[in-house]
Parts: sequence; structure tokens; C-alpha cells
Amino acid sequence: MRIFDPHIHMTSRTTDDYEAMFAAGVRALVEPAFWLGQPRTTVGSFKDYFDALIGWERFRAAQFGIRHHCTIALNPKEANDPRCKPVLDILPRYLAKDGVVAVGEVGYDSMTPEEDEAFARQLEMAVEHKLPALVHTPHRDKLAGTRRTLDVVTESGIAPEFVAVDHLNEVTVKLVKDSGCWMGFSIYPDTKMDEDRMVAILQEYGTDRMLVNSAADWGRSDPLKTYKTARKMLEAGFGESDVDKVLWQNPVDFYGQSGRLVLDELPGFSASTETFAGNSVLRGGRQ
Amino acid sequence: MTFSLGYGTNGFANHRLDDALRVISDLGYTSVALTLDHHHLDPFAEDVAKETARVAGLLSSLGLRCVVETGARYLLDPTRKHHPTLVSEDSDGRIDFLHRAIRIAADLGADCVSFWSGIKPSDVDDETARQRMLSGVGKVLVEADRRQVRIGLEPEPGMYVQHLAQALALRDELGKPEMLGITLDVGHCVAVEPMNAAECVRHAAGLLVNVQLDDMRPGVHEHLEFGEGELDLAGTLAALAEVGYTGVAAVELPRHSHAAPDVARRAMTALTAAVKSVLPAADSESVGQVDHPWLVGAERRVRSEPAAIRALFPAVGREVGRDPLRPESDPQGLVHGTVDDLARTRLLAALADVLAPVELVDEVTELYRYGDDAERRGVLRGLTSLPAPAVKAGLELVQDALRTNDIRLVAAALGPFAGEHLDQHSWRHGVLKCLFVGVPLTAVADLDRRTDTELLRMVADYADERRAAGREVPADAVRLLEVS
Repeated sequence: MRIFDPHIHMTSRTTDDYEAMFAAGVRALVEPAFWLGQPRTTVGSFKDYFDALIGWERFRAAQFGIRHHCTIALNPKEANDPRCKPVLDILPRYLAKDGVVAVGEVGYDSMTPEEDEAFARQLEMAVEHKLPALVHTPHRDKLAGTRRTLDVVTESGIAPEFVAVDHLNEVTVKLVKDSGCWMGFSIYPDTKMDEDRMVAILQEYGTDRMLVNSAADWGRSDPLKTYKTARKMLEAGFGESDVDKVLWQNPVDFYGQSGRLVLDELPGFSASTETFAGNSVLRGGRQ
Repeated sequence: MTFSLGYGTNGFANHRLDDALRVISDLGYTSVALTLDHHHLDPFAEDVAKETARVAGLLSSLGLRCVVETGARYLLDPTRKHHPTLVSEDSDGRIDFLHRAIRIAADLGADCVSFWSGIKPSDVDDETARQRMLSGVGKVLVEADRRQVRIGLEPEPGMYVQHLAQALALRDELGKPEMLGITLDVGHCVAVEPMNAAECVRHAAGLLVNVQLDDMRPGVHEHLEFGEGELDLAGTLAALAEVGYTGVAAVELPRHSHAAPDVARRAMTALTAAVKSVLPAADSESVGQVDHPWLVGAERRVRSEPAAIRALFPAVGREVGRDPLRPESDPQGLVHGTVDDLARTRLLAALADVLAPVELVDEVTELYRYGDDAERRGVLRGLTSLPAPAVKAGLELVQDALRTNDIRLVAAALGPFAGEHLDQHSWRHGVLKCLFVGVPLTAVADLDRRTDTELLRMVADYADERRAAGREVPADAVRLLEVS
């Protein structure tokens, strides 16, 4: 089984997680830029964070045989802080990078005018850079927030197939399906979605434009939720090809619209060779 | 190929200049080493300005790059070969000629002007010769600075400056002037240098402004066709690619004019075979991609609109590829770099051509600061193509990269730029870091020259620590301790 986790915050995860993910079949992932728990107060903090997403974290993932990509944006929560707003000005530089496959996470948190402005401006940037957009939907007032999200998407002129609307559930899935956007679901231990409910949604709405992610971060979460959902799909009677479509092909198709996905196997991780040029890739200071 | 293969017009002495240029171009050479002579763009002719403009037009229409050579035999004195020289008692004639050559090079858009010291007269002592050289080159540099044309000092067997080491020492004595580089004749390396041509190339690396290609036998200063002497042509070309040389490498066969077209054709055949043999199939393809139309267009764009590099630099890998240059010996590209590294070096060289030093330093620093790992690598590997005022900023970037644990950045940081400029303490820690994180020491430029007892002590302590913990000592550490 090969898995592409389309939304996971590896910055907050350990190397044990990387190892477990590789063992479970994860070979590629996308790490969206988001909130770090502790609010940031300067543009410099964001710059260092973005640099880590296109540099260090990418390198770290590669050490474990996993292709790392990211999305870059000013997240809705911090868009409300005037000290963070100038982050919007440095985004174009990052949106040109190899590892950046979408603008995101954008969208709403508390649905303020500041969030409106940051959301609309960043959708414009996505159009300008020919990149897809990953849109977060709010935890509070989710249904109304999702409606308003879709309105802003329509107004922006971005093609619906270039947009994934994330963190959906039973209440919001139909709206997004009808809009033509991709549907993202975050499978969590106790909030958002769980595996069984996800399987039920797939049974009801089909597998087209469906994205399943673990959204694992610094909170209580599980980087293997993609794998666990895949197991539940098989148990529920879905075939191997359905699983591959939802957990690999769909994310590849969505982010592949950026033209920047690199998915070939990392050296040293092919099935035939356990070592690379006579050395394990994890040699040196790490043993 | 990163550099341009050319042919010297002194090997076409029996041709009209225009005919020589056309034949050279038709044979597939993309550059020419133009020796100014009484019948080839005479610098003393009354209509020299007009003639220079005409030749510039012809070069441009043939798509030939150009370097200017000043080794004509009887141009200044019809009775005494090469006379006067920079070490003659009265060197004014030579200096005046070199000034003229610099102005012609500027008007031709040539890469540089090459020159040599001259034979030390038997009645002149070393100290006098040294003073004459320092003073003469100093005067030539004034015009070079004014016209912004680089000059390349060529070590020439039998002359006062005959070894690469002497040329480098002279440059140091003059205070490492930015406009003074090195012209290297790889045949001379076989004839008189203590190291082979590839090692000379690595040694001179960032200072090379012009390269002359020919074969020779040890101890015999006779320019031979490829294969007739002992030059490792393939290894030498590989070394040029490895150090990121982007200038002209032109065949130098001044005594073969009688059969010039045939000799030039044979030389091209030998060069083509050498390029193919040194680069495995996949590899030559990927190196070929560096001359990718996208890159050529990107270079042009950077020259006309320098700020465009901000969007072009991140796009390089997507456009020209990311393969290692020498996948068989260096599968991760840690030692020799990757295709995108090379392409970024070229963009930086184009940027350095058009920006003033202060702006250049700012732009390059921003490219690094906002760069992902590949862009940062590209900047680090390109530092050797930047002019002297960029050294300070370059060192800050090298230090930044050495603070990371990303092996690709650490490897790129310890290339020829750090070899030349990084302080010894930081350099030692960089080498030790390579051993820690698994960067092969072949990635460290100037390792042999800079290894000192303190580094060996540090490596020995590291090896002891590994053994005490029951761990394997990295093979590179063992090797370093054994050979030193």
C-alpha cells in the first residue's frame, strides 16, 4: 500500500513518526503552513518557519524515505494580528519554490474582515502563480463558514478543481462536492472525523475528488490515520484500487496541478538496495 | 559542458583572420583565442578601431566567444622574438601593447587578455625581475580596471613566471587584484608543473580566466596534438567542469598552421571523444542540459533585467533537471554538485557581469536567505564566480551553511571558495562536521593543502571517541590520519 498524506504538520512530529509512517507505506506528504500553537509576533518568525518547510523539514523527511512538499500562506488565525500581516508581502518569493505545491492553509477562523482580506488576496496569488489552494474551514460555526468560504472561492475566479476545502464532515461535504472543489477530511483520534465515519462518507459520496489526511500536528493526533482509514476501507469492502485512488492518486492529481510534485523513490529506499553506496543514509552523527 | 571549446588563431597563421574564424566556427568550435598580430587585427594599425568593430561584428555573427592573446612573436620588434617583455630593461613597449590589447578586448566584448612574463635576461637577477614584473603588471592593471577587462597571467615554460605557483604568488604579492586571473595552458602542466593538469585546474579553480588546450610530454615544451603526449585530456576537461569553469578553453597549436584545418578537425574529434568518455551516457546528457535553451534565455534575461533572477533562480531545477553531474562516483552530487547547481552558477556569473559589487552582494545574499536548500547550494557553489568585494558576504553564507545539519549544504559550503577564503578554525570544524554527518571528504576543496596538525589532532580525538563507544570510525577519517 502506498500512501500520500495530503495534510500533515511534520514540524511537530518526531523521527519515530517518520519511521512508523514509512513502515505503514507513506512515501509522500504535504505539510501546509499553519499556526504553531504559540502565536508569532514578527514576520521574521514566519520567514524562518517557511524556510524550514522548504529546507530542513524536506531534508529530514528525505532521510526517512519520504518525499516532502509544502503549502505556504498566512493562516487565517494569525491574519488577524496586524504585526503578521506583512507576511503577505514575502509570500510571492516562496510561491516560486520547488517544494511549494499550493497556497495554504488559507480560509477562515473567526470570519473577521481581516480574514476576508487575507483569504481573497492569497487566492489571487494562487491564480497568479498557477498553484492550487488548500482551504481550511473553521472549527466553530463550520457550516456557515464553509458556505462563506465557497462564496469567496467563486468570487476569486480560481477554478474549483484548483481548490481543496479541508476539514469537512457529514454536514459540509455535500456543499463542497456540489461546488466542484476537492473534499478534504482530517481523521483525528477524537475531534473532526474518525475512520469509520470517513468510510461511511466514501460509501455515500464515492471516491472522486476525495482527500484523506491525518492533519497530525502538535495536538493530540495520529500520523497513521491515513493508513488506518485505508485498512477500514478494505474491511468495509473497498478494493485495493479504491484505496490507492483515495490515498495516493487523488492527492497526486490535486497537488500535481502545481507541476512541482517530485515522487520518484529516494536513493537508498528502493526495495532492491538497503544501503546507498555502501552506507545507510542515516549514517554519521545519527547513530 | 560548462565552458566553451575554442581554437587559437595563432594556429591559423597562414590564413586571413576572417577565413580562420569561419573555418574554426564551421568545425564546431564556439569560441576563439585571438592572437593579435601584424596580419590579425594589428593593434598598431591606423584603422584599428574600425577593424576591431568589424571583427566584433564577424565574431557575433558566427556566434564565437573570444579571448585576446598577446604572444605574437615579431609584433613589437622585427628582429628579436617576443621582445620587449615585462622583465626587459625597457618594458614600455610591452606595456603599451598590453594596454592596446585591453582596449581591443573591451571593444570586442572578449572575456579577457592573456599575457606572460617573458624570459628573464641572463644579466638580470631574480629580485630585479620580480620588481619589474610587479611594476609592469601594476601598470597593466590600471588599464584593465579602467576598461573592466580581466587579464590572465600565463605561466610559460622557460620564462620568468613559468609555474602556476609563481603566478599565484605574484598575484598575492600584488594584493590579489580582482582583475588579475590566471591563464592555464594544460600542456605546460604536463611539461613543467609538479602536479598534473587536472590538479592545476583544481588549484587555480576560481582564478581561471582562460584555458589553453594541447598535449605535451614531461620536460619538453613542444605543443603537440592530443594523444601525442601524456596529457589526460578527459580528466582535465572533467576537472574544468568540476570546478565550474565557465570560460573559454581553446586549442593552442601555434606550430601547426601549415595544416591548420586538418589539425583543428582532429582536435575537435579528440575533444568530443574525451567529453563523452569522461561523462557516462546519462551524465553527458544531463551536462548537456546545462546548455538548455531555458538556461541560455535565463542568462540573457538576467543580463538585461537583473531582478528577474529572483524568480528564475528557484525555477532552475524544474527547468534543467537535478541529476548529479557524476552519478557513478558521486550519486548524491555532494562532491561535484548537480546539474541545477551548475546552472545556478551560470546565472550568478551573469548577474556578476551586470551588477555593481554592492548591489551584487545584496542580491546574492537575498537569493541565499530566501532560498530553499537547492538555491542555497547553488549560491554556495557559485561564490567562486563572484568578484572580490563579495568575499566577505560569501563567507557569512558559508558560515551559515556550516551551522546547518543538511549534508548537501555542508558539502557545498566547503568547495573552492571556502578552500581559498575560510579561516582555518572554521574550516577545521567544517571538515570535522563532514566526518560527523557523512559528507565524503572529497567534497572538501584544498583538503591536502589546508590539513594541519590541529585538524589531525581533532580527527584523531574523534576516532578515539568512536572507538571508546565501540563504534566504527568513518573510513574518510582513517584515511586522513593514515596519509597525513
